[in-house]
Amino acid sequence: MGCVTATSIIPKATTPTLNRPNTVAVGTIVWLGSEVMFFAGLFAIYFTLRSMAPELWDFETSKHNFTFALINTLILVSSSLTCQFGVFAAERLQNRSTGWKPNQWGMVEWFFLTYALGAIFVSGQVWEYATLVSEGVTLSSNAYGSAFYLTTGFHGLHVTAGLVAFLLVIGRAFAVKTFGHKEATSAIVVSYYWHFVDVVWIGLFFVIYVLK
Amino acid sequence: MKSNVVIFYLLTAFFLIMGCIYIGWTIAATGQLEWAGALTIVLSGALTGFVGFYFDRVNRAQGGIMPADRVDADIDDGDPEIGQFSPWSWWPMFMAACLGVVIVGACVGFWIAFFGLPLLLIAIVGWVYEYYRGNFAR
Repeated sequence: MGCVTATSIIPKATTPTLNRPNTVAVGTIVWLGSEVMFFAGLFAIYFTLRSMAPELWDFETSKHNFTFALINTLILVSSSLTCQFGVFAAERLQNRSTGWKPNQWGMVEWFFLTYALGAIFVSGQVWEYATLVSEGVTLSSNAYGSAFYLTTGFHGLHVTAGLVAFLLVIGRAFAVKTFGHKEATSAIVVSYYWHFVDVVWIGLFFVIYVLK
Repeated sequence: MKSNVVIFYLLTAFFLIMGCIYIGWTIAATGQLEWAGALTIVLSGALTGFVGFYFDRVNRAQGGIMPADRVDADIDDGDPEIGQFSPWSWWPMFMAACLGVVIVGACVGFWIAFFGLPLLLIAIVGWVYEYYRGNFAR
């Protein structure tokens, strides 16, 4: 017995494995493109009404609590950061923490923190609405009220839907036997949505509270 | 994909050159810039430039020659990984019916939506967790 050679009977693949973009991620981005157009329409409403009644804007925007809105904005922006750390954990396929330190946290812990920050933001919005209504700014009071509540209200509904999405993704991480690529993908696309909603709020904050 | 990149960059060059000619020609003929045509042609160049740039990036990132560019490749070599799809499911239909109830509520009387919203919540949870419980649990 000299040398024994074994020839593989399995034919080699003719083409190398290709690095294709994830179809779920691509579909989410396309859908977010349509969401951009939706909010573009709301911004158009706001700018059109403002150009028609500048003195009304002068009067009503003076009722804003800028400091409160700024803090609420910073809370939402920080939730985008915690959300991204959750995505990094999901990309390591780590759903639960291995210790108390934040760099040992899994996706679930980071997403719970993100959920809490997002919930604080929505609560802050509700409190701000209540304050403004008590000062006479309502959805039907005048053009400013309509523009303000339509733009920020639809954004608030999107944030609330994002909070539900976080709960569903967290639930999947608990329900699944082994945390795999499918679960990581849903975590990643929810983070796309969350970052999108965050960026829309930065635009709204700039237009409503800074430019007035 | 290499040829797609080249074709889109060629189109970009074509639109930009034609845009310059168009702008020069309309100014020479009428004495002023014709905004509609000038913008359309130059921005068409921007559009094809973006698509060409995107294809160029994808081409570099995928780490190989696309099956479409090879003579010896099969059609299914180009299939991407499409992930998991349900062979059949009642949940999308149930969800559509629930959404229908909510929309009817928004149009007719909002009290109807209060019946639709809890059902909608059930539909979403049912759809999201369809393959996380029971016989086909992951």
